[in-house]
Order: sequence, then structure tokens, then C-alpha cells
Amino acid sequence: MRINVILKRCTGCHLCELVCSLFHLGVINPEKSAIRIQKDDLNTSMNTPIVCRQCKAMKCLDGEDVVEKLEKEQFLWEKERAGRCPFDSLNVLGEDAYHCDLCGGHPQCIRVCTSGAIHVKKGSSD
Amino acid sequence: MLNRKIAFVDLSEGSIRIEPFPAELRQKYIGGRGMNMFLLSKYYSQSLDPFSPQNPLIFGAGLLTGTLGFGSRVSIASRSPESGHLGDANMGGEFGAELVKAGFSHLVITGKSPKPAYLFIRNGGIEIRSGEVLMGLDTVETQQKIRSLLRDDRLQTACIGLAGENRVRYAAIRTGLKSAAGRTGMGAVMGSKNLKAIAVRGTDDISISDPKGYLNYYQRQLKKLMQTKWVQALGKQGTPLLFGPANLGGFLSVRNNQLTSVGKQGYPLEAEALERFSNGMVACYACPTHCRHRFMVDAGPYKGTRGEGPEYASIGSLGTKLGNLDLENILCAVERCNRYGLDTISTGSYIAWAMELYQRGIVDREKTGVPLEWGNGTSILKIIDMIAHRRGFGDILAEGSFARDTLGVSSRDYLLEIKGLPIEMTDERLPKSFALGLATSSRGACHMRSRPSMDVLGLPRELLRKIYGGPVSNRIASYNGKGRMVWWHECLHAATDALGVCRFMTAFSSPHALQYRQFARLIKLGTGLEISSKQLRTIAERICTLERIMLVGDSISRKDDTLPKRYFEEPIPEGPAKGCVIVRKEFDHMLDEYYRLHCWDHDGIPTKRTLNRLGIKI
Repeated sequence: MRINVILKRCTGCHLCELVCSLFHLGVINPEKSAIRIQKDDLNTSMNTPIVCRQCKAMKCLDGEDVVEKLEKEQFLWEKERAGRCPFDSLNVLGEDAYHCDLCGGHPQCIRVCTSGAIHVKKGSSD
Repeated sequence: MLNRKIAFVDLSEGSIRIEPFPAELRQKYIGGRGMNMFLLSKYYSQSLDPFSPQNPLIFGAGLLTGTLGFGSRVSIASRSPESGHLGDANMGGEFGAELVKAGFSHLVITGKSPKPAYLFIRNGGIEIRSGEVLMGLDTVETQQKIRSLLRDDRLQTACIGLAGENRVRYAAIRTGLKSAAGRTGMGAVMGSKNLKAIAVRGTDDISISDPKGYLNYYQRQLKKLMQTKWVQALGKQGTPLLFGPANLGGFLSVRNNQLTSVGKQGYPLEAEALERFSNGMVACYACPTHCRHRFMVDAGPYKGTRGEGPEYASIGSLGTKLGNLDLENILCAVERCNRYGLDTISTGSYIAWAMELYQRGIVDREKTGVPLEWGNGTSILKIIDMIAHRRGFGDILAEGSFARDTLGVSSRDYLLEIKGLPIEMTDERLPKSFALGLATSSRGACHMRSRPSMDVLGLPRELLRKIYGGPVSNRIASYNGKGRMVWWHECLHAATDALGVCRFMTAFSSPHALQYRQFARLIKLGTGLEISSKQLRTIAERICTLERIMLVGDSISRKDDTLPKRYFEEPIPEGPAKGCVIVRKEFDHMLDEYYRLHCWDHDGIPTKRTLNRLGIKI
């Protein structure tokens, strides 16, 4: 299971970021969200949501002696893992990286994406 | 949400003072426009010149701005150089949310910088920086330049363009590609302070009192809202969807309101026509509706024109109001105004005035420098340039209503204005509630102050009675109960402006959209503050009455709550609303009802008892 993105539909509203931080941390802070919208708002207005692809081969955990399954369920990661992500999909603020744990199977961001830019895709990719 | 600060910035002294938001004022005025008005009232006096350093320019984010609050707006207030009275405008985009994330709710800017400057606000700190390199840049270039200077592409900026620098009296403050605090010339005040921009970046947490409850409640309300036909349509077409009904119904401004419909000729301007330029919809911060097209003109004489929007208000003001039915020219004109930082509504309206003077021979080509014939797209673009640069006849039009003094007595009847602000893209002789709303709007002629858009829906009377708490006619041309309707919407809009919520998701246009009860619940879950829906309405009444008190100080009263002469004396000559005119006696009855519900006296002056009830001290 992973979150799939249809770029053209993203309106750049940030609601996915807001609910992500609220659900996991009890505060609203788009900087502390596992999904983030990269915007080109002063030029093309194209919005690009970026979120963990739930890769089968987790390059982000290279060199770590950890259980992948358990790490996948964690929201707060150490920022070093962001540097190893080949897709630059992990949001970093300070010492923390924010990883999509799929909200335990019911992603909150999907529920507030009114344009249908993000949706759940069953199965995983590599 | 409650720990946001107020910053007092004195540009003459270069000093900055940061204070907490007093809890007592939070209960009385909430934030956003409400708190702006309280702060403005401390400076407001009849002798305060809009361009004097003492005139404050006040930015206020709403209480729910930056949260899951259905839009994220920021209000901007000052004494208006356009009307000479109360100035107030608000804008969406992301600036308000970023201000909140940086720890601030309100900015009170006074003085005048000795040299061009901009403010840089980041996580609780404010610096005044040199703005020399920004001068002369348009409103998008300014934002891009600041992002490049500060090396941060998530930075949000509110700024002025050439129009603000040149103190065009209806210059806007802009953010993003499209958002504008357009009406009442707040950009000109900013220019008079030598303040080119305010750049903000914030990464602070926004605390939520009951995170789980807040999220659940928000998601429930969101689901309901997204089921309304209004929001569904708005998310596909944006406000241009309003053009068709206005044209079909005969309440569109055409040729400076000499006509009110263009019939079939208007098809090329309807919402569907915009779709060929659209690459999709975009949203303001935290807005689920996403009512703006991102558009691009990729061929023809206006090739390369790109932006977001446009709104129905801009299409009407720079289109039919000027006899202009060329959509691509209109898109170009709107974008030109946005880049210069000109209010599209006022710009179109003053050009329409000039065009009617040209039609009647009151001004001629020698005076105007360009042929101001109806629908001449080339002239429209040229005159916009001339206004922003204050060149030739543009320098006269840059004065807005004050140009009456230059253009002479014979010009006055053709300037359709109320309290110094021009009539907009609509003609209100048919929809009587719209007419009363314009006449009583505290910032001068404005459809966003109290327009009961629901009036066009012809809803069942029982439903209207339930919403408005009294008898209201469901016929758009009727005067009955429309005073109540306008009063009700004016209060709701004052509350939503204090909260930073966008009109389009409230009962502005749909009876099923958000109202006081939902806002009271969001406040409780978000902040822990116990403010009932009834108390919220009292706060809204307080905001409206405080604005009225400031206007009363400017000697404004019943005599000013009126409409242009054309509305009373010239029945619509043709089209779907042929024969419609405002009957003064009936208009007066609406006004009486409106004053009575506000608990103001016959002249529209708030009574002592009302001031005591609302806790307003003069």
C-alpha cells in the first residue's frame, strides 16, 4: 500500500500537510508533515506533492540494523535517512525526518484531498 | 492559536515593539478584521490624512488562519486614500498563514521609512531591510526577487507594484500570482510609507486544544460542504460561473451601467469559455474549494499572458463594464493590473466613468490621449499603463473619485460611487438586497461586505425565515425583508473576516454551507475558548458598529447610505431587467429595517444603549 499522486490535480492547498502533522503530532505545522507540496507558485503554479513511495528495497535504511517492517510504521525518523532516499521524498526539519506511516492503514491526507490528487494504491513499488 | 503576537512597527523611527494579543480583546474582536478595526479606531480621526505617516497600515490574520479553518485570509486596514474613509481589504493566498506560522497575528505599521524598505519576518523576529533593489519591480518580480535574495522558495510576500509606489489611490497589496487586498487603496498607503514589501517565513507549530476532536469535526464539516452544489461548481469553474446568471438576469454592469446585459454576445465571456485557457484549478492555503484556474493564453495577440483566476468581478469590471467582450484582452488587462498592483474592480470602474465622459463629449481625445471608445481593448491596456505610471490622463484617473475635482461638475453624475468607492461589475437595480448592501457597506460600494447571494436562488420562504429569523421575500426584485437579509449577511461576513474564513465556504451563497454554529465549534476545539454561536454574532455586531462609529466620526450618516442617481432616476432601458429602478420610498423602508436590526437610530447612528450593550467606548 502506498499513496499515489496525480500531479495535475494538485491544487496546492496544503490540507494534506496540515492534517498529517495534526494527526501524528497534535499540532498544525506543514513543515512537520510526511507529505509536502513543492510549489512553483510564482511561475507555472504547478504543484508537486512529494511523499514516501513505500519502496520494497528501502535504500533509506541502508547500513542500519533495524527491522524494516517496524520502521515503516514509524512517523518520526532520524534525518540521515532522508539523505539516502533516492527520490528525496522525506521532509526534514531540524534533526527529524517525517516518514509516511500511512496513518496505520487509513491515510488522513487522502480524506481531505478534495481534488483527488492523492489516493491509496494497494501493493508496493520499488 | 492564542499565543500569536501583535507587532508595532514604526518605520520613521526604525523601531519594533512586540506585544501579546490581549485575552479580553480576543473575546471581543476575535482577530482578523475585528481586531484590525479595534486597532484602527485608536488612530482614526477626521484629521488623519491617509498619506500621513501617522495613518496606520494594519495587517490582521484571522483566528482560524493557518489552521484547518476553510481558507486562510488576512485583512488589511487603514484610512483609505481612495474613499477618504474607512479602508479595509482582505486577501487569500498563503501570506496570512505564513504570518501565523511566524508567530504573529497582527502588524501595526506607522511612520514612513526615509528610504525604500521591506520587512522580513521570521519565527518571532522582524527586521527592516533596504528595499532599494525592489523599487520599480512588478508584484510578481518583487516576490521572486525577495525569494532569491533570502534564498528561500517557501517564503511568502505581500507587496506593492508600481501603482502603490506611485500612490495610485486604488493600488492593491498583492501576494502570490493572483491574490489581492484590492479595494480601498491599501497599496497606496503602503507606498506612502516607502514600504515595498513584507516577506514572511514561519516554521512554528500551531497548537490545537483538542487535536483529535478538531480533526474529526473538520473532516465531517468538509464532507458536508463538498456535497453542496455551490462548492462543487465553484471548484470546477471559479467565480466566472456567476457571469452567466448576471447577464441572463440583467444585473450585469455594461457600459458604466447604461445597460445591464449583453445578451448572447456575452457567451464568449461565460465560465465555459475560460476552460480552453485553463491548466487546472489552484487553491488558497487550507482551502478545499480550489476556485482559481491557472491559465495561459498560448496564441494570438495576447500570447504569453498567464496567471490565476480571473474572478467574475474582474471579467465584469474590465470587460462588459467597458463594453469589452474580448476575453483574451480581458485576461491581459487583469494580469496587467495584477502586475502593477492595481485593484481590477476600481480600475475598470474609473475607466468606465472616463469612457462615458468620452461618449458624452465631456472629455475628448486631446484630453485623454487615447480614444476611449467602448470596447477598445488597445486603449484599455494603454490607459492601465498610464494610470500605473501616472502619465497624462492616467495621472487624473489615478486619483479615482477625487478626479471629479479636475474633470468638472458635468462629470459627476457619471461617476457611480458610494462613499467614495465606485460601483463594481454588477448593476443592482433588479436585486434590491444587493442594492441595499452596496449603499450601507462600511467601506463604500462593495459586494463582499454583505451581499446575500442566496437571494438569487429563490429559496422557499420557510427556509429563508429559518435562516434569517424573520420574514424575507424570496423574490429577487422585492424589497420585503431585504433589510434583514443584508443585516444578517453583513454580520456573518464580519465574523468570518475576523476568523480568516473565505466567504465562499460560508452561507454567503449556499444555505447548507458554514454558519456561526460550526465556527463556534471550531473555535472551541481549536483554542479551548468557549464562544457560543450567539456570542459570535454579538462580536460580529460589535465589529459592524465599531466601523459605523468611525464613519460617524467622518460625518457619515443616512444621507450617505444611498445609491448613485442613475439607480433612482433611470429605469434600465432594455434587456431582461428592462424597467427596473430603485423606488426611493421602498429603499428607505429597507434602510429603516436594516438600522433597526443594528440598533442604530433613524439616521444610522449607533445609540448609546447599543454602544453600552456592545461595550464600545468612544
